[in-house]
Amino acid sequence: MTESMWGIWSVWRRYFAVFRKSFLYYLTTAFLEPILYLTSFAFGLGNLIGDVKVGNEMMNYQSFVFSGVIAQTVLFQGFFEGAYGGFFRLNYQRIFQAIATTPVTLSEVIWAELLWDASKATLASLLVTAIGIATGNFLWSSIILMIPVCFMSALLFGALGLCTAGYSSNIDQISYPQFLFVFPMFLFCGVFYPIDVLPDPLPTLVWILPLTSVNSLMRTIAVGTPFESYALAIIIAWVVVAIFMARRALMSRLVK
Amino acid sequence: MQNASSEAMLKVEHLSKSYHNKNGDYFEAVRDISFKIPEGMCFGLLGPNGAGKSTTIQCISGLYPPTAGRILINSIDVHRNPKKAREYLGICSQEENLDSDFKVYDQLVWHARYFHIPMKVAKPLATKLLERFVLSDKADARVEALSGGMKRRLQVARAFISNPRLLVLDEPTTGLDPDVRRILWEILLESKKQGMAILLCTHYMEEAARLCDQVAIIHRGQILDIDSPEQLVKKYITKEVIEEEVRPGVVWKRPPNLEDVYLKVTGSHLGVVDL
Repeated sequence: MTESMWGIWSVWRRYFAVFRKSFLYYLTTAFLEPILYLTSFAFGLGNLIGDVKVGNEMMNYQSFVFSGVIAQTVLFQGFFEGAYGGFFRLNYQRIFQAIATTPVTLSEVIWAELLWDASKATLASLLVTAIGIATGNFLWSSIILMIPVCFMSALLFGALGLCTAGYSSNIDQISYPQFLFVFPMFLFCGVFYPIDVLPDPLPTLVWILPLTSVNSLMRTIAVGTPFESYALAIIIAWVVVAIFMARRALMSRLVK
Repeated sequence: MQNASSEAMLKVEHLSKSYHNKNGDYFEAVRDISFKIPEGMCFGLLGPNGAGKSTTIQCISGLYPPTAGRILINSIDVHRNPKKAREYLGICSQEENLDSDFKVYDQLVWHARYFHIPMKVAKPLATKLLERFVLSDKADARVEALSGGMKRRLQVARAFISNPRLLVLDEPTTGLDPDVRRILWEILLESKKQGMAILLCTHYMEEAARLCDQVAIIHRGQILDIDSPEQLVKKYITKEVIEEEVRPGVVWKRPPNLEDVYLKVTGSHLGVVDL
């Protein structure tokens, strides 16, 4: 089946048009969520902790947790848009089924869905980056590298969410990957503390989960922690696998 | 684009479709069926639930690849070249799949975008369609606010937005009031006159008898017969008068109709005395 940019674009525009209608609501929540985390952790907990040791260097906890919240935002926004948004569009609106009888192919609809989930999560995470820059926690130039990294990570978690949507036969089943995969990443992959404070063998094991790599790369960009090249390789590998899995899940769900 | 006046708008050639059902069993939903619909013909596909009608439609829409055989829309293989073939196709599936994020009018206009239709063409057409389907006063309503019958009508109207040359309707009148059903019949007859080819799946035999020039009776994935409704009645029902016990002790006498043929051919005789 051949994809055309036009087909993908025409569906992506549909998502954007719907998004525009609830833009203010989105902006408010996309701002509020990280600000709640930041106030609690950066200012609350941060005052108790002061500085943390990352690798061999000490750094301000506020800056440390700020970059973690970017990763957390990509994770939550990407996964939940793909899982719950995707499930709704797949089973209640059935827009995949409706659009895939027009000159737009199912494959194009799925690409548009993947790109949309990623776009929305990217926007949210760049908002957090902007807050970080405005509060003096990151260098302003960090946003340039942050854009592609946020987008890749958003694609990764959006695709995993969409994969969940495709394989779930009812909405409650989405809780499984949520509690077995998303929340553990949120808690153990270095959002709130450096992973090497965990007891062995956890600091090694958590690299199995993609958020560890995302956190590492984002922290390098935002606050200049040492660059771990395998983090980038792991993210790219996950993106490829996640997209493949999501497309397979939706195709097998919709095509007999 | 070739002139299709002599060619059939839809050709289903030896279509077979098998798949694994929910229990994991391999299931032959459609077995070697063939039919064609030229321009200006309404073709009825009649059969009980699970006969393979919806599977056939999913294959025609290009979503399901055929296990064997092929489907040509305006001589274009819909599985090999779905983008081109589906430019000619308007479809209303059995399940509701309206885009509830858009209001009634926007619904039609947005659907037109997937067909490359410019807005200056789509907008007046959407207005006209809402008028024809008696939905004009709901143009700004949200989809959730519509009644079941209105949703159904809107979904049929949406199938017209691309000015299709092949219209496929899966149970279009389910849940419609008798007056609204008649409006839809009128629209279909008018479209047929203008050269549209129509594939109609329905449970209503009266509807099929009124609208369809040809009818295929499909049962357990196979077409048992194809003919005009009149010929089918002549062929299968030799009696002049049918007696049917509609309630205990109440027997109706009436001329035979397509429903009698359907019941006889699919092997069910419920209620009807001695066909």
